[in-house]
Amino acid sequence: MIRLALPKGRNLTPALAALRAAGLGLAGVDDSGRSLRMALPEDGVEMLSLKDWDLPLYVEHGVADCGIVGSDVLDEIDGDLLVPARLAAGRCRFALIGRSRELPAAGSQVRLATKYPLTARRLVEGRPWGAEIVRLSGSVELAPALRLAELALDLVQTGRTLADNGLVEIEAVAEVAPCLVVNRASFQRHRGRINAWLDRMEAAGAVA
Amino acid sequence: MKVSTALPTGVAALLFESARSRRRLEGRLAALVESRGYEEAILPILDYVEPYEALLTPASRGELYRFIDRDGEQLALRADFTPMLARLLAPRLHSLRLPLRLFYRGDVVRYEESRPGSRRELYQMGVELLGMEGPEAGEPAEREERREPGEPGAATEDAEREVLALFLEALAGSGGGPRQVVLGLAGCLDSALLTAAGGTSPAALAAAVARRERSVVRRACAVLLPIVETGLPERPEDLGPAAAARLRWLLALREELALRFPAVQLSVDLAEFARYSRHPDLVAEAGARSYYDGLVFRAYAGAAAVPVGGGGRYGSLFRALGADIDAVGFSLNLDGMLEAGEGAIGENVPAGEAMAPSGGRAGKRALL
Repeated sequence: MIRLALPKGRNLTPALAALRAAGLGLAGVDDSGRSLRMALPEDGVEMLSLKDWDLPLYVEHGVADCGIVGSDVLDEIDGDLLVPARLAAGRCRFALIGRSRELPAAGSQVRLATKYPLTARRLVEGRPWGAEIVRLSGSVELAPALRLAELALDLVQTGRTLADNGLVEIEAVAEVAPCLVVNRASFQRHRGRINAWLDRMEAAGAVA
Repeated sequence: MKVSTALPTGVAALLFESARSRRRLEGRLAALVESRGYEEAILPILDYVEPYEALLTPASRGELYRFIDRDGEQLALRADFTPMLARLLAPRLHSLRLPLRLFYRGDVVRYEESRPGSRRELYQMGVELLGMEGPEAGEPAEREERREPGEPGAATEDAEREVLALFLEALAGSGGGPRQVVLGLAGCLDSALLTAAGGTSPAALAAAVARRERSVVRRACAVLLPIVETGLPERPEDLGPAAAARLRWLLALREELALRFPAVQLSVDLAEFARYSRHPDLVAEAGARSYYDGLVFRAYAGAAAVPVGGGGRYGSLFRALGADIDAVGFSLNLDGMLEAGEGAIGENVPAGEAMAPSGGRAGKRALL
C-alpha cells in the first residue's frame, strides 16, 4: 500500500488528472478535498488530503510515501525530497506585482510583500535595488494596492485579480508547477510502482 | 517559582526506559565492533575550528556551532567524528602500526532548521578502518593486473567489504523494523555529469539526478536517465572503464552480502549519491559529508527519510591532511535506530484513528 498525499486547493484538480493518467482509478475521489483520508484498495493506495504547506513535511517524515505539491512551496522549504516529475497542468508563475510597470530604480530601497520570503530574498539578491521583505499570509495583492508595500511577489495565473485591484504584473519571475514528490526511503521500497506511474504520466503528456 | 521544563530545539533528555534502551543498544554495538578487533577512541566534544577550515564545505560550515573562547580561540562543538579523528591521526600515522581499527561513540551537534523530528544533537557510534594498504594487505598479483587505472587496490576493496559487512551486521542485530541499505560509489557519475548539455551546469545536473528529476536529466544527459529510474546505468560501460569496473565489483558485493544478511534489503542506487562527486568543480556542492571518494552507503529504517546511518571510503580526507592512506568507516544514529524500531511516525495507524503529523512515539521517548 502506497500512502499518497493530495493537496487541497488549486493543485488538487491537476493532481487528480495526473494520477488518473498514471493508471489510478481513484473511484470515489472528487476534487472537493473534504475527505481527509481514504483507502483505495483497488489502486493499492491510501489518500491523505493535506494543505500545501504541510504536505512536504508528511512526505519527508514518511507518513505519506509521496504527494503532489506546488514548486512554490518546495522552493520555500529546506526539505530532502525526491521530485521526479513536474505536472504539465496547473502551472502558473511567480510575478513581481505593483501599481505601475516600473521596477524600482537602482540603489533604491522598497518594501516587498509576499507569502514566500525565501524566494523573495533570492530574487532581490540579484537586483540593483534593495527590498525589505514583508511576510504576509494571504491577500498579498492588497499590500501594493493599499501601499503597505511598493511591490508584491505572488503567484499569478490569469492576472484577473491584479486587474480587479488596479495592479499590474511587472515581471514574470519563474514558472510554478505542481510536482510529484517522493520520500527517499519510500522510493527505494516502491520504486517499481512509482516508476510505472511516471512512465504512464509521461506517455499521457501529464508531466513535462 | 515556576521552573520551565523546556529544552532547546532539537535536543532531548532520555529518562528511565528510554535511557536504558539506548544504553542496551550501545552496549550491543560496542561488544560487536570490539569482537571484530576495533578499539575505542574517546574524542573531545570541543575542538578548534582552524584545522578544519580547508575541509569545510558550505554545508558543513553551516551546521557548525562555533564560538570564540575566552582566550580568543575560535572553537566548535563536534559535528562529525571522522574529520576529528583524521586530523588527530594524520600527523602520527608514520609512528603507528597499520591498519588501525577504531570505534567511537558520543554526541555530535549540528545546526538544522527547526522541523518536527529534526535533531540537533545526535548520539552516534561509528567505526573507522585506516591504512589498509599496509603490509598485511598481501594481495595476489593477478588480482591487481586486471585493474583499470583509477581503481582502488584489492586491499582497499577488502576494507570496504569489511566495513560494510560490519555495518550490515550492526543493523541486522539491532532489532526493530525493516532495514534498507542503499549502496553507491562516490564520483562514479562525474564523467557523465561533466557532459551536461542544454544549459544545465554539472552541479545542477547532479542535484537533479539526486532528486530524480526525470525531465531535467533527460534533456541534459540521457545516459543518466536509467540511473534516475532504476539506480543503475543501462550498461556499466556507460560510466567509463574505471567506474564500470567498480560498479561490477559493487554489484557482486551486493549479491554476496545480501545472502549473508537477508534481514537487510540491500540495493545499489547510484542516483542516491549523485552529489558525492570527486571532481573539484562539483565537490563543494556535495553537502556536509563530501569527503567520501569510494564506496558509499546509507541505511533507512522504518519510514523516515532521514538515514539512521551511513558511511564509506574517505582517503581523500587523509590526503588533504597530508597522509597518503585510505580509510573506510561508518556511523550509526542510535536514537534514530531506536525510534525506527518502535514504529515510525504515522506507521500502521489504521484508517479512522487519529494520526499526529509529528511526535508519535519519538515524541514520547523524549521525556523532557
